[in-house]
Amino acid sequence: MTQRAFTPMILALLVTTLGFATLIFVQEAASPPLIYGAYYAGTLFVLYLGVRILLPHSDVLLLPIVTLLTGIGLVMIFRLTYDVQGAQNLAMTQAVWILIGSGTMFLLVLFFRDYDRIFDYKYLLAIAAVFLIASTFTPLGYTVNGARLWVDLGPVSFQPSEFARIALVVFFAGYLAEKRDVLAATSRSFLGVELPAIKYFGPVALVWAASLGLLVFEKDLGSSLLFFAVPLLMLYAATGRIAYILLGGVLFSFGSFVSFLLFAHVQVRVQSWLDPWKDPDGTGFQILQSIFNIADGGLLGTGLGAGFAQTIPEVETDFVFSAIASELGLLGATAVLLAFLAFTYRGTKIALLAEDDASKLLAFGLTAMFALQTLIIVGGVTKAIPLTGITLPFVSYGGSSVVGNFILTGLLLLVSERAGKREAEGRAYNRDEPWGAP
Amino acid sequence: MNAHVRRTFYLFVAGFVGLVVMLAYWQVYSREALANNPQNGFQTQRSISSPRGLILAGDGETVLAKSVKHHTPTGPVYDRVYPLGAPFSNVVGYWSPRYGATGIEIGNNTDLSSVAGEPQTLDDLINRATGGPQPGNNVVLTLDPGLQKLAYQELQGSSTGRGSVVALNPKTGEILAMASSPSFDPNNIDENYPKIAADPGDPLINRATQSLYPPGSVFKVITAAAALESGVSPQDTFFDSGAYKLPGYTVHNFQGEHFGKVTFTKALAYSINVVFAKIAVNIVGAKALSQMAVNFGFGDPYDDFPIPVSGSSVNSLPPGQWTTGTLAQTAFGQGEVQTNAFQMALVAAAVGNDGKLMQPRLVREVRSPDGIILDKPTPSVRRQAIPADTARTLNEMMQQVIIQGPLPEAEIPGMKVAGKTGTAESGNGEPHSWWITFAPADDPKIAMCVMIENGGRADRGALPIAARLMKAYLTEGV
Repeated sequence: MTQRAFTPMILALLVTTLGFATLIFVQEAASPPLIYGAYYAGTLFVLYLGVRILLPHSDVLLLPIVTLLTGIGLVMIFRLTYDVQGAQNLAMTQAVWILIGSGTMFLLVLFFRDYDRIFDYKYLLAIAAVFLIASTFTPLGYTVNGARLWVDLGPVSFQPSEFARIALVVFFAGYLAEKRDVLAATSRSFLGVELPAIKYFGPVALVWAASLGLLVFEKDLGSSLLFFAVPLLMLYAATGRIAYILLGGVLFSFGSFVSFLLFAHVQVRVQSWLDPWKDPDGTGFQILQSIFNIADGGLLGTGLGAGFAQTIPEVETDFVFSAIASELGLLGATAVLLAFLAFTYRGTKIALLAEDDASKLLAFGLTAMFALQTLIIVGGVTKAIPLTGITLPFVSYGGSSVVGNFILTGLLLLVSERAGKREAEGRAYNRDEPWGAP
Repeated sequence: MNAHVRRTFYLFVAGFVGLVVMLAYWQVYSREALANNPQNGFQTQRSISSPRGLILAGDGETVLAKSVKHHTPTGPVYDRVYPLGAPFSNVVGYWSPRYGATGIEIGNNTDLSSVAGEPQTLDDLINRATGGPQPGNNVVLTLDPGLQKLAYQELQGSSTGRGSVVALNPKTGEILAMASSPSFDPNNIDENYPKIAADPGDPLINRATQSLYPPGSVFKVITAAAALESGVSPQDTFFDSGAYKLPGYTVHNFQGEHFGKVTFTKALAYSINVVFAKIAVNIVGAKALSQMAVNFGFGDPYDDFPIPVSGSSVNSLPPGQWTTGTLAQTAFGQGEVQTNAFQMALVAAAVGNDGKLMQPRLVREVRSPDGIILDKPTPSVRRQAIPADTARTLNEMMQQVIIQGPLPEAEIPGMKVAGKTGTAESGNGEPHSWWITFAPADDPKIAMCVMIENGGRADRGALPIAARLMKAYLTEGV
């Protein structure tokens, strides 16, 4: 566990400052009110100090990575919207969301140091998650770009699935830790694949199917993919049975095929992935503009402010990575991907060092969700896989996504605190092996 | 459980590596192809949203083309402005996102465009990396702005208003003037292009390099060079009866004159077709004459020249298949001989420069916006057309064209001048009027070819124009 990350914090804030300075110099853009920049830097720095004090043994290196990613996100959102009618204030709104996310995370580390108590409420969380997702079907929900993902609560609107998925990871972690032994044991086999008892598998499958089903009908393909894959990986980690992955693969192929036949929007996505040139001004437009922009960047990028990423619809949310690849080039985009990989690596390490099964599965599930989300959206905008609308964690514009990912980071910090503390105590008692090492 | 967690992590690492590979595929491997895809409008968009480099005349100060910024709702856009307009447009060309580009604008596009080509200075690299302003590089031409303007005015004032002038420094190959008339105003080309393209005078054609005409007697310089190389000396005498009968073709002199017994020097000075035909048929032969034209650059497409050149040609048939009639006509630049002012100016320059034909150049240097020289070609010999002593003999004979001609109008006080007239049957109306010259003949600073379409007799059409231009350049410093 890295317990001090002062220099990385300063570096991350400097990168953000440099980005804004460049934009203001190059685009002759009016500087956004400096007070926002001060708030942003101050908030994240106070958050860092707070975590250092409250969770002195936690893996605090996650915070400079979060700072770097949110900073790059702010720079790109400002760059893409500063002169766009009706969207000039998006960067400031995002800064406010980062502030709210930081606040949420601060409250989390302040009050949830005994985080494992939430595993006692896992069924409640699962039900809450399903209801959250289902809430978009109430009159409060509304549709954006064909997907019904939003709930309007008067002053704010949010995407419930961004929070529901964290609740579900908590549920799966708690449940799988409890039942992993019986799930690993097999009671019967089907077509040569050994299956666990329905009794134990039931709740997992039920929650899984319910959330997945709802999301499919909401046309939220990206979230569906995440909700499908993350529990599967957690099941694999808990039981070590590759059969689950294989079974999942079969189910996935079947599900994809059925939804391809059933839903026009799935067909459009697949066709515009396979052959965007067929309709370059219609269904293929977005992905082609993304590819043109990425290619335009070349090795070193066009430079901040010199690209044409504004030609991509939804560039500040789902396609923000294309704008980064265009203006910062292969080198810059790879550096950003490395920051995501570093986060994934720290998350994995936290999972490896966590003391109990539930914490381990929680840290693993959250990390897997973070990594998969990055892979799915970046893979989508680079045409490596069909495009499914989903945000790039911390970078894309979007309040729910930002706050959700701050909560995710907060939970990882909490898990790491306990492992780090035990490690420290182990050192203090001069023991070779920490207690109960798995 | 840790082993499974670790394995999944490796899977993610593989996923990230896959993404970098995918990025590299788009950003490195397919970059060109995507940039040039017709659906991709970025190149055009970028080309109008960043300034192109300046095109400057040979003095390094006179601006021939510049980008001027104006603001639009979608950001600044640059218009191309040509302060001196039509006199330079056959060389400078025009640049339009709609109608493409011509001349130096396209020939040196990689230098002028801020987006084409690789960064060449540290500043450029930093500007590109930070997205800073990226003006293109400046291209300095070899053109003498005063001479170019004067040449264009002279062409406009000529009897038909159609023609071309090419002047160069024989020792360096630097083109000092390349004028073509009629010309066009390259400003606001987006609006004016349809009208200009439909103009029956073909102003978009650069007559100096792209048109081809029969040269008439200016070609006798090449025939004379071949004759000297075949052993004829300037004092050798020939008999001119006024006509030279060949199977199927009879050679006559210009305006039916006959001169009797004349030296070779006089035959050139009086431009006697009969004598040249006899020398070509009886002494030089088709092969040697054709080869001499090639030595002077006929058949060379000048692909490396920044603006398009139509290569000159002697005949469509190989010399082995010429009839004696063809050979006789070729000797005085008729028949199928096709050339232009560019090529004939190079012939004059090569004779003046001891037979060395220098690499013709329009670009003196390329500078970065902050003045760093990025490219500065040095003079080089393109071909040794004739040996130096032959060139000196021919030089002497060309001086006698003016002294014995006599062509007093071509004289320049205080220096020796060499030249040769050409009055070429055009097959359509008045003959084309040609004059090639260089001076001072013993140490030439300028060689020139003036060509007036249907301009009539050489000494009334092309020569007076060239004489005024030469005097202006050599004695008045324009």
